[in-house]
Amino acid sequence: MAQQNFLAEVMAASGQPINLCYQCRKCTLGCPMAEEFDFPPNMVMRMVQLGMKDELLRSKAIWMCVSCETCGTRCPNGIKTAPVMDVLREACLREGVTPADPVTVDFHRSFTDSIRKFGRVHEATMLLSYKLKTKNFTGDLDVGLKLFLRGKIPLLPKKAKNLNKIKDIFKKSDL
Amino acid sequence: MKYPYFPGCTLYTKAKKLDDAGRECSRRLGFELDELPDWTCCGATFPLVNDYHIAMSGPTRILADTKDQGGSQLVTLCSVCFNVLKRTNVVMRTDEERRQKITDFIERDYHGEVEVLHYLQVLRDEIGFEQLREKVVKPLTDLKVACYYGCLLLRPVKEIGLDVMENPTIFEDFVRALGAEPVDFPYKIECCGAFQVVHSMETATRCSRDILANARLNGADLVITTCPLCHFNLDDRQPEIRKGDPRFQTVPVLYFTQLLALALGLDAAELGFERNLIDPLPLLREKGLA
Repeated sequence: MAQQNFLAEVMAASGQPINLCYQCRKCTLGCPMAEEFDFPPNMVMRMVQLGMKDELLRSKAIWMCVSCETCGTRCPNGIKTAPVMDVLREACLREGVTPADPVTVDFHRSFTDSIRKFGRVHEATMLLSYKLKTKNFTGDLDVGLKLFLRGKIPLLPKKAKNLNKIKDIFKKSDL
Repeated sequence: MKYPYFPGCTLYTKAKKLDDAGRECSRRLGFELDELPDWTCCGATFPLVNDYHIAMSGPTRILADTKDQGGSQLVTLCSVCFNVLKRTNVVMRTDEERRQKITDFIERDYHGEVEVLHYLQVLRDEIGFEQLREKVVKPLTDLKVACYYGCLLLRPVKEIGLDVMENPTIFEDFVRALGAEPVDFPYKIECCGAFQVVHSMETATRCSRDILANARLNGADLVITTCPLCHFNLDDRQPEIRKGDPRFQTVPVLYFTQLLALALGLDAAELGFERNLIDPLPLLREKGLA
C-alpha cells in the first residue's frame, strides 16, 4: 500500500505519468549525467513505481540532475524526468533526510540568499557565502579568483531598487 | 521599434559583453532595447514541483512590470532568463489555479499578456535574416562556426517553441546571414554540465570536452553560445581538458552578439575579448576580422 501511495504522490506532485514507463532507457542513453548517477534515470522511474522512497531520497542522482530536459523531450510515453527529480529533491529536504550531495543544497541556498539580500544575484558574494557554508576553501575558489582577475565579476553588488518588496515576499514565503 | 528589455543579473557582471554587444548591435540594426527601469533576478531556475510557487513570483513580477509599462513583448539575451520567463508566462496563460495563487501572493494582476522573446527571435522574425544579411558590413567569410544551443534555449520544446528539438537551425541561419559557415555539429544540443561546475568540476570538464572536441572534429574555428553559464564552462574548462588530453586543440568561445558585432563592423578591440580565457584574437586576425 505504501508503494502505491508513494507512486501516486510523486505522480501528483510532478504531474508525470510515471506508471507508463516501460524501461526503454531512452532517457538514460541521452542523459549527460547518467554515468555519474548512482541510479540512472530509467531506474529512478522504476524505483518510484516500486515505492522505494528511502533509497531515492538518499540517492545522489536526484542532486546530480541539472534539468537539461533531454530525457523528457525524448520519452515515448511523455514522462518528464526533471520534474520527478525536483519532487524527490523537495521530499528529501522536507522529510529531513540528509542529502547525498549536501554541497548542491548549500549552493542553491547561497543563490537564494543573494536574491534575498540584493534582489539580484551577485556571483562574488554568492560564491563566498557558498564557500563559508561548505568550509571548502580550495576547489572552485580557483573559479572565483580567475573570474575576478579577468574582470568578470565586479567587487560590489548592484542592488535592485525595490528591495523591501523582495524582503516581504521572502517573509511571506517562509524561505 | 522599441522593445522592453530584461538583461538579468549575469549580464551586469560576468556576461557584460553579451549585453554590451547586443545593445550596440540593436542600435545598428534599427531597434531599441529599453531596459526595464527596475528589475530583480528571474530566479534562474523554473520550479518543476506542482505546488511550489514561490520561485515563480520573481519572473511574474518582471512580466507584470513589463505589462504595466505598456509593453507587449519582453526581450532577453540570456538563455536562462529566457527559459524561466517564457515558462512562467506559459503557466500564467494556461493554468488558472496556479496563476491565481501567484498573483494573490505578489498582489499583482497578470494573465500572461506579455510575449517573451529571445533576441535571436527578434533577428529572425522581426528584422529577418535576409535583411540582416544586407546590413552586414564585414562578412565573416571563411569562418567556420559551431553553433552551440545547449539546453535552456530549446527545451522543453512545447513551452519554449523557439525551434525544433533534435536539429534546430535558427542559430545556423543566423551565422549564414553573417557570411560565415556553420559546421555540422551533433553535440550542439548536449548539456555543458551547467551548475555542477561549482562542486564537481570533473563533470563540467567531461561534458565540455565532449562538446568542444566534437566542434573541432567537424572543423569549427570557434563556438558561439547565448548562455553565460555555457560560455563559462566551455571557455574556462579548456586548460583542464588539455591537461587530461594534450592532443586537445583549444577553441575560442564567443557570445553570439560578439560575432554579430564583428559582422556589423564593430572593432574587435571593443568587444572585450580580453575576458576570454581562450583568446579569439589570433584567429580573428588570421581571418582578417581583427
